[in-house]
Amino acid sequence: MLKLFKTILKTGKATVKYPFKPLEVCPGFRGKPVYDAEQCIACGACTVACPANALTMETNTTTGERVWQIFYGRCIFCARCEEVCPTRAIVLSEEFELAVTRKADLYTTATFALHNCPQCNQPFTTKKALALTLDLLAQSSGDPDTVEALREVYECCPGCRQKYNLSTNGSLRMRQIAVGGKS
Amino acid sequence: MSLPEIKVNHHVSQPIQLDEQAAKLKSTLLKDIQRSAYVYRVDCGGCNGCEIEIFSAITPLFDAERFGIKVVASPRHADILLFTGAVTRAMRVPALRAYESAPDPKICISYGACGCGGGIFHDLYCVWSGSESIVPIDVWIPGCPPTPAATLYGFAVALGLLDQKLKGEQHIEAIGEKAALILPEVPLATRVMIEREARRMGGYWQGRLISDEFLKRLHGASVSDVAPRLSQWLNEENDPRLREIVQRLAGLLQQGAQPGGQHG
Repeated sequence: MLKLFKTILKTGKATVKYPFKPLEVCPGFRGKPVYDAEQCIACGACTVACPANALTMETNTTTGERVWQIFYGRCIFCARCEEVCPTRAIVLSEEFELAVTRKADLYTTATFALHNCPQCNQPFTTKKALALTLDLLAQSSGDPDTVEALREVYECCPGCRQKYNLSTNGSLRMRQIAVGGKS
Repeated sequence: MSLPEIKVNHHVSQPIQLDEQAAKLKSTLLKDIQRSAYVYRVDCGGCNGCEIEIFSAITPLFDAERFGIKVVASPRHADILLFTGAVTRAMRVPALRAYESAPDPKICISYGACGCGGGIFHDLYCVWSGSESIVPIDVWIPGCPPTPAATLYGFAVALGLLDQKLKGEQHIEAIGEKAALILPEVPLATRVMIEREARRMGGYWQGRLISDEFLKRLHGASVSDVAPRLSQWLNEENDPRLREIVQRLAGLLQQGAQPGGQHG
């Protein structure tokens, strides 16, 4: 009997203090995906990767908007979105207290503006994705002036760029601008 | 003989509507229960992961019974019904029978990703949707499955003990909003090379963390600085797997720095 009490004293309390004290989760715990809308370029990589379709994206060409949405209720916390995000806009946190009494609180949406091709006036990507592409080009070439000089070409949709290249020997001109920009 | 008019969406499952008195009784139950709450779990066709987590929540480690929450074996004793799993065609009627068997007022909780919105099963032919398609739901507990702590939190929200933390957000792109470059001081080709190799070796998710940490630690380092900085990191982590990957990345970086050794 005494031995039993000793063991009990030694073991102490196993129960966690959770609702009264914050719970420490293990490293690598996959909790609520935290979304940083400013960093998002609405490329849609996460919506393709999401196995549960918790992430969805809809493009409305008449209003020129692309709406990104996460429905936390359907999320299975697999971190596939975090893996594929090229700008680190969505990261799984250690937050697990997600219970809600209103279903609308389980949704997070973000609206982005589409970019229209100046030639054919048709949308083909979002403004933020284009801006990031130009920034990456400037970073990788180390020559922002040339990228800026060719901005007009980059702002066109792939179809119009192809037409431009075919009709005016555009790739040669691009090269000329690039050489001119460097000198 | 005239047939009743068939609605356009007659094939879509509609939840049970509460009558006025039941709704009133339920609102007092949600606000202030003033006694123990008995929970009955209704499996609408889930994978059993949620059930396992519910039973983890009543183990001594999390001990839901210290708040008077007890899992009972019959819906006739229940105050709270936990609907787990996506509503499948075959389990819809048994789930409705369990709902009808529970005495009014009863709190209904959608438990787990499948209960909240169908989860990964939401578009299967035999799945009706989340549990809100058959019964009026009061609390949604997302998670796949929700951890025992998340379950306790969900019960606390259902009984009005804690406030919900999650709020719906709508972001609208501001004018001139721009995504920042990742590690702008590192050449893009180098970052891509390191990240690709780290992801190849360490797995897609871990690899990204390792490559980011690797490049951050080496930022602004001279050639002689590289080895001590890396060994300091490896000693901190003390993980042979990380050591293997980091050594490979350092070798790659050295190779890339030599003329002609650059990878795309």
